[in-house]
Amino acid sequence: MADSKYFSTTKKGEIHELKEELASLDRPKKKEAVKKVIAAMTVGKDVSMLFPHVVNCMQTEDLELKKLVYLYLINYAKTQPDLAIMAVNTFVKDSQEPNPLIRALAVRTMGCIRVDKITEYLCDPLQRCLKDDDPYVRKTAAVCVAKLFDINPELVEDRGFLDMLRDMLSDANPMVVANALAALQEIQEISGKEVLQITSHMLFKLLAALNECTEWGQVFILDALVSYQVQDSKDAEKIVERVLPRLQHVNSAVVLSAAKVVLRMMEEVVLRMMEEVRSEELVKAWSKKMGPPLVTLLSAEPEVQYVALRNISLIVQRWPSILANEVKVFFCKYNDPIYVKMEKLEIMIALASERNIDQVLLEFKEYAQEVDVDFVRKAVRAIGRCAVSLEKAAQRCISVLLELIQTKVNYVVQEAVIVIKDIFRRYPNQYESIIGQLCDNLESLDEPEAKASMVWIIGEYADRIDNADELLETFLETFPEETAMVQLQLLTATVKLFLKKPTDSVQRMIQLVLSAATNETDNPDLRDRAYVYWRLLSTDPEAAKDVVLANKPVITDDSSQLEPALLKALMEQISSLASVYHKPADTFVSRQRLAVQTVDTLAAARSFAEEDVAAAAAAPQATGNGAPAAAAAAVSSAPVVDLLGEDLLGDSTPAAAPAAPAATPGGLDDLLGGLDVAPAAAAAPPAAAPAAAAADPFDLLGGMAAAAPAAAAAAPSLPQLLGGEKGKGLTVYGQLQRVGGRVVYQLHVNNGSATSVDGLMLQVNNNSFGLAPADQNVAVGTLAPGARGSAAVPMAYNPAKLAQGPANMKLQVAMRSNQLGVFYWDDNIPLAPLLEEGGTIDGQAFLAAWRGLPQEAMQKLDVTIADVEAAKARLGAVNLFVLAHRPVPGTGQDALYVTGRVFGSTQVLLELRLMRGTPGVDVSFKSERQELAAAVFAVVRSSLT
Amino acid sequence: MISQFFILSPRGDVIIRRDYLGNVPKTSTETFFRTSKFYKAGDEAPPIFLVDGVSYLSVKDGGVHLVATTRDNVSPSFVLEFLKRISIIIKDYCGSISEEAIRKNFPLIYELLDELLDYGLTQNTSTEALKTFVLNEPTVVAPPASLKPLFGLSKGPTGVFKSVLDTNRTDGKRRDEIYVDVVERLAVTFNAAGHAISSQIDGSIQVKSYLAGNPPLKIKLNDDLLITRRDGSGYAGGGGYGGGSGFSAGDYAADSSLVILDDVNFHEVADLSAFDTERCISLVPPDGEFALANYRTSHALRLPFRLSIATEADPASDHKALVRLRLWCDVPADKAASGLEVELPLPGHVARVHCEVDAPGSAALAGWEFSDKTHLLRWRFKKVLGGMDLSMRARLTLTKPFGASLRTEVGPVNLKFTIPMFSASRISLKYLQIMRKDRNYNPQRWVRYVTSSNSYTFRT
Repeated sequence: MADSKYFSTTKKGEIHELKEELASLDRPKKKEAVKKVIAAMTVGKDVSMLFPHVVNCMQTEDLELKKLVYLYLINYAKTQPDLAIMAVNTFVKDSQEPNPLIRALAVRTMGCIRVDKITEYLCDPLQRCLKDDDPYVRKTAAVCVAKLFDINPELVEDRGFLDMLRDMLSDANPMVVANALAALQEIQEISGKEVLQITSHMLFKLLAALNECTEWGQVFILDALVSYQVQDSKDAEKIVERVLPRLQHVNSAVVLSAAKVVLRMMEEVVLRMMEEVRSEELVKAWSKKMGPPLVTLLSAEPEVQYVALRNISLIVQRWPSILANEVKVFFCKYNDPIYVKMEKLEIMIALASERNIDQVLLEFKEYAQEVDVDFVRKAVRAIGRCAVSLEKAAQRCISVLLELIQTKVNYVVQEAVIVIKDIFRRYPNQYESIIGQLCDNLESLDEPEAKASMVWIIGEYADRIDNADELLETFLETFPEETAMVQLQLLTATVKLFLKKPTDSVQRMIQLVLSAATNETDNPDLRDRAYVYWRLLSTDPEAAKDVVLANKPVITDDSSQLEPALLKALMEQISSLASVYHKPADTFVSRQRLAVQTVDTLAAARSFAEEDVAAAAAAPQATGNGAPAAAAAAVSSAPVVDLLGEDLLGDSTPAAAPAAPAATPGGLDDLLGGLDVAPAAAAAPPAAAPAAAAADPFDLLGGMAAAAPAAAAAAPSLPQLLGGEKGKGLTVYGQLQRVGGRVVYQLHVNNGSATSVDGLMLQVNNNSFGLAPADQNVAVGTLAPGARGSAAVPMAYNPAKLAQGPANMKLQVAMRSNQLGVFYWDDNIPLAPLLEEGGTIDGQAFLAAWRGLPQEAMQKLDVTIADVEAAKARLGAVNLFVLAHRPVPGTGQDALYVTGRVFGSTQVLLELRLMRGTPGVDVSFKSERQELAAAVFAVVRSSLT
Repeated sequence: MISQFFILSPRGDVIIRRDYLGNVPKTSTETFFRTSKFYKAGDEAPPIFLVDGVSYLSVKDGGVHLVATTRDNVSPSFVLEFLKRISIIIKDYCGSISEEAIRKNFPLIYELLDELLDYGLTQNTSTEALKTFVLNEPTVVAPPASLKPLFGLSKGPTGVFKSVLDTNRTDGKRRDEIYVDVVERLAVTFNAAGHAISSQIDGSIQVKSYLAGNPPLKIKLNDDLLITRRDGSGYAGGGGYGGGSGFSAGDYAADSSLVILDDVNFHEVADLSAFDTERCISLVPPDGEFALANYRTSHALRLPFRLSIATEADPASDHKALVRLRLWCDVPADKAASGLEVELPLPGHVARVHCEVDAPGSAALAGWEFSDKTHLLRWRFKKVLGGMDLSMRARLTLTKPFGASLRTEVGPVNLKFTIPMFSASRISLKYLQIMRKDRNYNPQRWVRYVTSSNSYTFRT
């Protein structure tokens, strides 16, 4: 039987023929017809018009035929919801069949039909199947709960399916346990609520199950273990002991997930700072065990290798010792795919040390003579990077580079010149003897970066190169045609030459360059720089010397180094896509399934949010272990920070280090808090929803949900954004708010115009926080004249929307409609909704950040605090987390160390000093973004009053 | 959570498609094909990439792409391993994986997918357990000639193309057999002086079982097998695998009578209780193909080829040069390398090449070719017996006068070969016992070895 023939039916009247065949009484013929339909569906042909005919075949004893019909049903039920109802009866009947295969098939298929109308009928069969005698049916039913939750969460909670799932974690069949666990995790993902919490009791069960379940189940369990909060180092040791054997598994996913658990425990052990020696021993022993399995991953297929290499490049940055002796295994094979070669090269650079540099250099040299241009270039750069980071090896690196220059291969020479420039910057005045050899290759330079590098070298060493003026002159001949990069370097180099050797011919040159750069260019950067030089030279040549020939800071090689905060975040996401992209998950995972929400569901979410806030307030106390000490240390050393050292070095360091966006203990507890109230809130009658939606925004700001005047009417509580003539009859009220853990633009639209309005969409201009609508639709539907509607537009972080320059709190908004065109308005961004729930960091990180940041801004707030605990809770309610609280010796004051994370990963650090019952709170503020100070002070003030 | 799974033909046609979560647009199949075909600067696309918030993970097998899409931060190796697993299952059921095999068996594959993946969550993936759930008869397809791997070129046991469903047959045509293949891939790099500066074997013991009723097996490996870790202190916990304590690779490296492995991992069916003492592995083989063990070693390998290369000027003309290669085949005389290819990159200014080969008669030279585009000179040999000594001479015509730098621009030489019944690590199966007390039960047992080149490079 060759089923491929189904793919080739393209003749006319096909559909009609299929209809007839589907109606045939002959079962084999019928089956053939359904197969043809499925084949057509697979290749993307529309066969939805056959829906009733296919569904008619559903009532059959033939399991094979049934399966095919169900496959079709899953695909098209959504487009034909009314007809899908026809299938319900059969589902219900099938779910009571004696054959477990049919029961399971019915439950599995029902859940895949994402049609709201069907879900109600699904509940009874599902309830039965969750308690089925056959494990195959039970495990299928477990997954079905997650499916149902995605369509209709209330229903799942009403029917108590979540509890049934939790009970299934103790099922005798490992497959059922694995599916129940997976379903619960998925529900947790979708809802953002904690429905599954790993207790130490459960930990034992999971560890025991580790040995029994399938490889896929092992990955699930290992990933779940990572989120377990270790009580002490004994705990950590116990876990690692059970997990280490998993490193020998054939499945690379099991190996990487096991490595993730061990790495996490290493962090725990280090963090807990047990007796120094012991923790060091443990880390050392575990590191040793992890090396060989990681190396073994490189024997797998290139696809698997690629994932392993991306992860290893993170691991070697955090724990260099694990693979310090293994550089050889990362040598490239000639037939490795290019994506594997590039990764190996990076790791080789990271592992290069004075001990193995000779070997590594030999390899790089080989690579630099291969055929793939990109790879060759990268190999040459690699040599340069080793030279910059290993002082003792610099000489050897340079001689390899010179050998490569001798090959005269055009792109090799150019790359070599670029990296030699870096070496000169790293080791000034040490290797200029080689300049002569570089100058022999001037004619082969045709790429801007190589040219610019060579020009820089000539300018920098103008006094040591006898014919520097001639060399520069040849470059200057083509000045107008060069790219901006080369022009800028030529300008600077000529000025340097002039300051070092002010001969007549050079004087002519400089006049030529300055006039060309000021008169004949439209590049403002070039013109400005030329004017600066011109003015400097004409007013005070000595000062010009001081400026232009000043000593430059030494560079370091950090092109592959990740920011510590980012590295930390990524280390927690080892063996996930984040570790392959080297981007934290929240930058690419969007909750698409939640993106479009109606006001009702948001309102419900919002009532959770209020509970969450209360829970979050309680969290810091629970997590503050060890933090007080750290914070106290911070105080003693904080005020005198050496700015200069930190700031000027940052020649190649991006200015703003994103602060740890990691999910920290506080964040978890806060989810946990949400758990208890979830079912109740979800069950709230619909009537409560509008009221919640209408609640005054200040209720979130003030953090005092109970006291807020919730009865206010919907519209007026939001500030008016658009109205009158500008609005062409439309009045828009709105404000940014924080709802359910995300920023939403709460909008209320009154249609006062004479036409119905629909198709409302929102866009914002670049702003200081990178706020952008996650979904541009303003879900108010069609507004008839006189109608009103509310919608919450979820906002997401979009780096492309990040405005450069000093922060301001302005948001420029555009909204379009199909009928009335585009409206514009300006809004103010309140800071409070931008503070994130998971925004706490641990004491250590706080201390490090506080030390590393420049002088703080300070303000005295005229508030009086009588009860410090209440104040802490209030701060927590606005997502400012108190890490530590201690008395200031000898003053009778209390000091609070507070942190929070502003939308877009900016960590803010605060120190509050206050005297109980006495007016006045001194607040010190530190952050990468100092300009947020005023806004943060405002939030602190409003939360405390 | 996997949002979609689909299989694309080499031309990008959809041959299998399932959508699980409905959160990725239908056009994802085209997006994937376009992105991977036209990746940046024509480079080969990595197996994982992100387009518009959708992650595409893919593996390629038998010419078709198996692709999963997701919007979640999943474990990438999990998904890739799962895709590989699907491809193995297709091979187990349909005999091989190719566009033709999938098209001919698509209802069966949909049936299998139903059981493999539910709502984007992996379910049962054991070939054996799946048998209970499939109703469709497989159409066994042998791979097309163009894709048929030379024996051992791919990692798996080859040469058998039949469905695991075969074991269910009761019509007397059933043939019980089991294949155990020791497959080793060599990665060796020689420096210009002819010394191996790095050498490694990635080995695998592959089992493909067609035994009805799955009787238990017992496999014994070399007694002189030593599994070492860098520090010598083997891991003592867990399944008890890993070498004894206190051994150090260095101490034994000189003693060539030992087979030393750097690291081994075992399939979960392996019972290793007798492994430390007797080097015996007991197992109940699941149906279909699986890797019983994967290992790697860099110790005391038997390197099958050595080579010397010399480039010299032609005294008669300064626009000519001569490259001499001499290749020794260092395997026992009763073994032979098949499909040997010697590949020599030449610099861009070589205009023409003429070759002469001196080889013992039986080492049939299948030909040589020089490509102007890639500047690769390639000799092909059908079969090279152990102990043979081949000489190759290439006369180069240059577009510019001969210079000393030519010596470094010629090479490195890459070798491709397959040597059946040879294991470079000297690992071997001492016996393969089928534990069934039935005198009449005597299924075919096939134990095969193959060593092939993964990357075998001589630098110049």
